[in-house]
Amino acid sequence: MSEFEPKIVAFVCNWCTYAGADLAGTNRTKYASNVKIIRFPCTGRIDFMLLMKAFENGADGVIVSGCHPNDCHYTSGNFHARRRWIIFRSLLDFIGFDTDRITFSWISAAEGNKWAQIVDEVTEKIKSKGPFTDLKKLNCTLLKQLYDEAITK
Amino acid sequence: MKLLQNKVAELFKNGTINLMIGFKNALNKQVVPCFIENSSQAEQLIYTADCKNNLSVYLHKPEVKKIKKVGIIGNIATLRSLIQLTSENQLWDIEQTILTVNEKDEIILFKNMREVETYVQTYFPENHTEEDKKLLEYIDSLPREERWKYWMEQFSTCIKCYACRAVCPMCYCTQCTVECNQPQWIKISSETTGNLEWHIMRAMHLAGRCIECGECGRVCPVGIPIHLLTTKMNQELFKEFATRPGFSLKGEYAMNTFKPEDKEGFIK
Repeated sequence: MSEFEPKIVAFVCNWCTYAGADLAGTNRTKYASNVKIIRFPCTGRIDFMLLMKAFENGADGVIVSGCHPNDCHYTSGNFHARRRWIIFRSLLDFIGFDTDRITFSWISAAEGNKWAQIVDEVTEKIKSKGPFTDLKKLNCTLLKQLYDEAITK
Repeated sequence: MKLLQNKVAELFKNGTINLMIGFKNALNKQVVPCFIENSSQAEQLIYTADCKNNLSVYLHKPEVKKIKKVGIIGNIATLRSLIQLTSENQLWDIEQTILTVNEKDEIILFKNMREVETYVQTYFPENHTEEDKKLLEYIDSLPREERWKYWMEQFSTCIKCYACRAVCPMCYCTQCTVECNQPQWIKISSETTGNLEWHIMRAMHLAGRCIECGECGRVCPVGIPIHLLTTKMNQELFKEFATRPGFSLKGEYAMNTFKPEDKEGFIK
């Protein structure tokens, strides 16, 4: 069996991290190809439900990244996002969700190398953790239950 | 009790209110909310330590808003949600008359929301029961995998009746994300992933606004302690940003504001 290749979804802001990833590309910096980038106008737009949907649809890890504090194109979007993440992360932690699979970072348009480094790090980490099955298992147990019930009837 | 009934009857007679929302004893001696429409009905009213329901949820129903002059008998949870609702500008189109009964069985008629604010701030409400505290501690002490198992077992019983939403005074959106079907954020059927998403979404939308009356947990037909999610959120909010909802009319909604010096240790 070939090595497990994680699916990583990156929610990034248009003005900093997306441009940073672009820079990594134009610099021909090599980094893991597991990441799928989704561009948003601002980190403030990244709703927590999007992260949940990513995991539900088979992502093994998620990167959320935007401008450094005080650098936001819209002045305060990333400050609002930061508060939301602090709370969201502690809620997930309380529920017992594996918060190690979500990586938050600040990457500016000039930090192409940091982007490449973070993607590599996350890919390595998720590889060592293995596929994300917590949600899949839930659905399987339900299906199995239904199947068992149907069989016994 | 008689004092309260007389006071309410008086309010009806001098035209201050056209509707009073309070508590009464149902046939099975259970305390239930009731709507008093004239002075002769006022004798049904009671107020005891069992009056736990948060009555402010009725204030943003269109049927009640139509009546305009509405009285409400508030326990501390109700008063706190009234403060929160006022700060969210939800009660501007209603003339509410707020009554409460304190520990000495004295009736307090508030002249305005400022007085409610002062009352709530002086009588610091401790609305967590011992049971809740113990359960919260227990869940916190579990390792991550066990916590996940615990909550998934709880959520798997959720039948998505949305009673928690209906009973919550802060859930007043006319259209909820859960009914939004393009895109379908949350699956309609009651299966565990969808249930998990629903409860996460509910807790997140209430973070910084929940006043911890615990109605959602009390009303849950399958007994999921969902109020613990928002309680935990509130603890975190207080720890991180020192905000406490339902305490001041200034209405600093924690998720709607920020400080450049907010601390966090997980962003790379």
